Amino acid sequence: MLVYSLLAGLLFGLYFSLIGLGLNLVFGVMRIVNLAHGDILMLGAFLAFWLFTLFAINPVPAIAVAFAVFVIVGLPLYYLLVPRLLRAKDPEMLSFILFFGLSQVIEAAATIAFGTSERSIPGGELGAAIAAVARVFTGHAVENGPVEIFGQTFPAAWVASGLASGFAVLLVYIYLYRTKLGTLTRAVMVNREEALATGINVHRVSAIAFGIGLGLAAVAGVFAPFMLGSITPAMGAEVTVTSFAVIVIGSLGNPLGTVLGGVIYGVSYMLMQSYYSSWANLLPYVLLIAILLVRPSGLLGRQVRRA
Amino acid sequence: MPRVLRHALLVLLPVVAVFAILPGVYSNHLLLFNFIVFMMLAQGVNVIYGFTGYLPFGYVGFFGAGAYGFSLMVLHLHAPPLAALLVGAAAAVTLGLLLTPLFRLSGAYFSIANLAAALAVFQVVSNPALEEITKGPYGISLSGVFNPTLAYATALTLLAATLALVIYLRNSHFGMALQAIREDPISAGMAGINVVRERIIAWLLSALIAGFAGGVFAWYVSVFYPETVFSGEFTIFAIVFALFGGNATVIGPILGVIILYGIYNAVGISTPQYFQLIYGALIMGLVLFLPNGLVSLLQRWGIDVP
Amino acid sequence: MSLDPLLTVDGLVKRFGGFRALDGLSFTLKAGEILGLVGPNGSGKTTCINVISGLYTPDGGTIRFEGRPIGGLASHRLVHLGINRTFQIPRPFLGLSVRENVEIATAYGRNRRSASDVNTLLSALDLVAFAEKPAGELNSAHQKMLDLARALATGPRLLLVDELAAGLNPAELERVGAKLKELAQSGIALLVVEHLMGFMDQITDRVIVMNAGKEIFEGSLANAVRNAQVVEVFLGGAYAA
Repeated sequence: MLVYSLLAGLLFGLYFSLIGLGLNLVFGVMRIVNLAHGDILMLGAFLAFWLFTLFAINPVPAIAVAFAVFVIVGLPLYYLLVPRLLRAKDPEMLSFILFFGLSQVIEAAATIAFGTSERSIPGGELGAAIAAVARVFTGHAVENGPVEIFGQTFPAAWVASGLASGFAVLLVYIYLYRTKLGTLTRAVMVNREEALATGINVHRVSAIAFGIGLGLAAVAGVFAPFMLGSITPAMGAEVTVTSFAVIVIGSLGNPLGTVLGGVIYGVSYMLMQSYYSSWANLLPYVLLIAILLVRPSGLLGRQVRRA
Repeated sequence: MPRVLRHALLVLLPVVAVFAILPGVYSNHLLLFNFIVFMMLAQGVNVIYGFTGYLPFGYVGFFGAGAYGFSLMVLHLHAPPLAALLVGAAAAVTLGLLLTPLFRLSGAYFSIANLAAALAVFQVVSNPALEEITKGPYGISLSGVFNPTLAYATALTLLAATLALVIYLRNSHFGMALQAIREDPISAGMAGINVVRERIIAWLLSALIAGFAGGVFAWYVSVFYPETVFSGEFTIFAIVFALFGGNATVIGPILGVIILYGIYNAVGISTPQYFQLIYGALIMGLVLFLPNGLVSLLQRWGIDVP
Repeated sequence: MSLDPLLTVDGLVKRFGGFRALDGLSFTLKAGEILGLVGPNGSGKTTCINVISGLYTPDGGTIRFEGRPIGGLASHRLVHLGINRTFQIPRPFLGLSVRENVEIATAYGRNRRSASDVNTLLSALDLVAFAEKPAGELNSAHQKMLDLARALATGPRLLLVDELAAGLNPAELERVGAKLKELAQSGIALLVVEHLMGFMDQITDRVIVMNAGKEIFEGSLANAVRNAQVVEVFLGGAYAA
């Protein structure tokens, strides 16, 4: 049971790292609390669902579609909302409320458009993709079914999402630390005003980061039907809170920190589920508060937030 | 006429009078009661956000603590309602005290931590493992104290006290000090203000208000589930009402409640999704175009708003 | 007036990570004295003020005010003991009116003062015309005066002045200089950090030159400019010879 909990926690945690990745980027760059993050994820999930149901498109290519769509949506949304917001006296607090309003709008629109019933995508769809990849690497036919790791079996979808998360983190890391745009982004993360003073087009950098943040949320959404079970328009709120716990535990602005945060959360959650299941729901909140009080910069962070 | 008296006449008396008379002519007493509860909660948010700048995204935690404090006193100790109410309020203040380390955090971190704390309290209270004490997820059912008339009257009295408190804040050096702390805590320290202490006092006052609101709510309805009294809706509504009307004034939150909660009850309950859509858009518009609330329009024209 | 120093700083140390902003600074200040603090950028002048006024806790050494150690006390407690400061970049309470800015300091400072004192202070610093305006509407020179009013409203016996002269025109400079001298005459001790040497010369009795967190010279300004080490620290070795 312990080994299962640890491995399941790892996979589950990696998924939550993926969820937190976009949020981390947005908060790190703009100090904006995107309370609509979970709802973007929900939209990504529904996008994958409709692509599959209406056009029989496998979730794997849906990932690319979801990412592209939401990056494109994110850019004008940034320019619409954020520059005005940042002019206020208290942008951090107001961003809470602004994006809460946005999450309500998204949730309501989705409920009107899709109805409240639960939707899902057969797990086999993702499994087929894993099987295809495995066949390429190992040279012989691999059955589409549960994957075995260290003697424990997991749904193929979990392994797929774990791999995808790791890949996404790698891409974000390369973006931030190896590209010119990424370096500019990190400069804005550290000190927005100084970045502005050195001639960096802060709004453009932020808009792109915002778009990427939304795109990542949508990508996480594509995996949601497999990792979180069925999807409904109202699923966003809980996801948002948990993803905050993840990024806070890790650290701000550092994608590796989000991985750490996600894995810690995932493993702790699975362990709690196995041994003290009735208290498992308490875990993210307790972890969040504990980290904020003991090490507010997060486990890997250097930026300290003190009042 | 001293400003305090003028504010009291302009705001406190009319509001209390209206809500004292209305039950005689309007039969939906539960709705009137809810208006009173939300006016208290909006003022509570006003005290902590309007005056000190900290956004209590877990404000409902105090409400729920008050409700459960009241209920547990009645359930297990058969306490008379007024005594139980005091205990409920004390429970909320105790929770507030426990959360004071959160003030080391700034801005968004504080709000997230506060939200997490409220959710944690909800998880603990509604946990089946604690069914013996809190009745877990099955909810509270208080027989024997059900007295909506007396509960309503108590609520109205509590509202009057809350308004008096906010009028005091609006006109006192303490209120000014809180605003100074909100603007610049370092300068405030150099003006001789004990920033940490004043902030905590404001926080505990805010918790007290919500605690009383929760306790009297539990008394009025006498039957509720944990989700009811820990619903994020209370926090959101209270924050939006306070923001819409305008912070750091007495009348702002009241205007916010009357207008927005009024609209909600008139239109929103029948078509919840469309209402949610409009509400969300309204909130966004508020933040983008009128972040200091309705009364800021009046203040821009030089009117001294209570 | 007592002959014991009002303020004694002894071996004060303040570290930020590995960087020693203050590295064993020592000096004394008597009541009614105006002591100048000069030094190249980064020598620790503002840090010195920040530590004495309670913004930072010292990492070593002692600060004694009227004989008692005050290192590490919170700002508001220092204010109540009689210490205050102005800020290099003024930080008034922008949402409150000019009058309220001063009023709050009289209400919470040492010896709670009355409303008439607020008016006296406002007129002494030429702020009466703006009394009811929000502090955010003032220009930076007036905001500096408001900051000074805020500090004075708390009735300090030791006033730390951080680069007040920057941005003031000659007429304003003269008025401010006269005001500071007046304060000293009434028994307040002043520690003045300045870059404007003319202004410094006008008002100070003696100066301390700092470099790299420590004092390297103490005496009159006239002698300071003749001191080889001081010249080297400000202008570089080529000039010291």
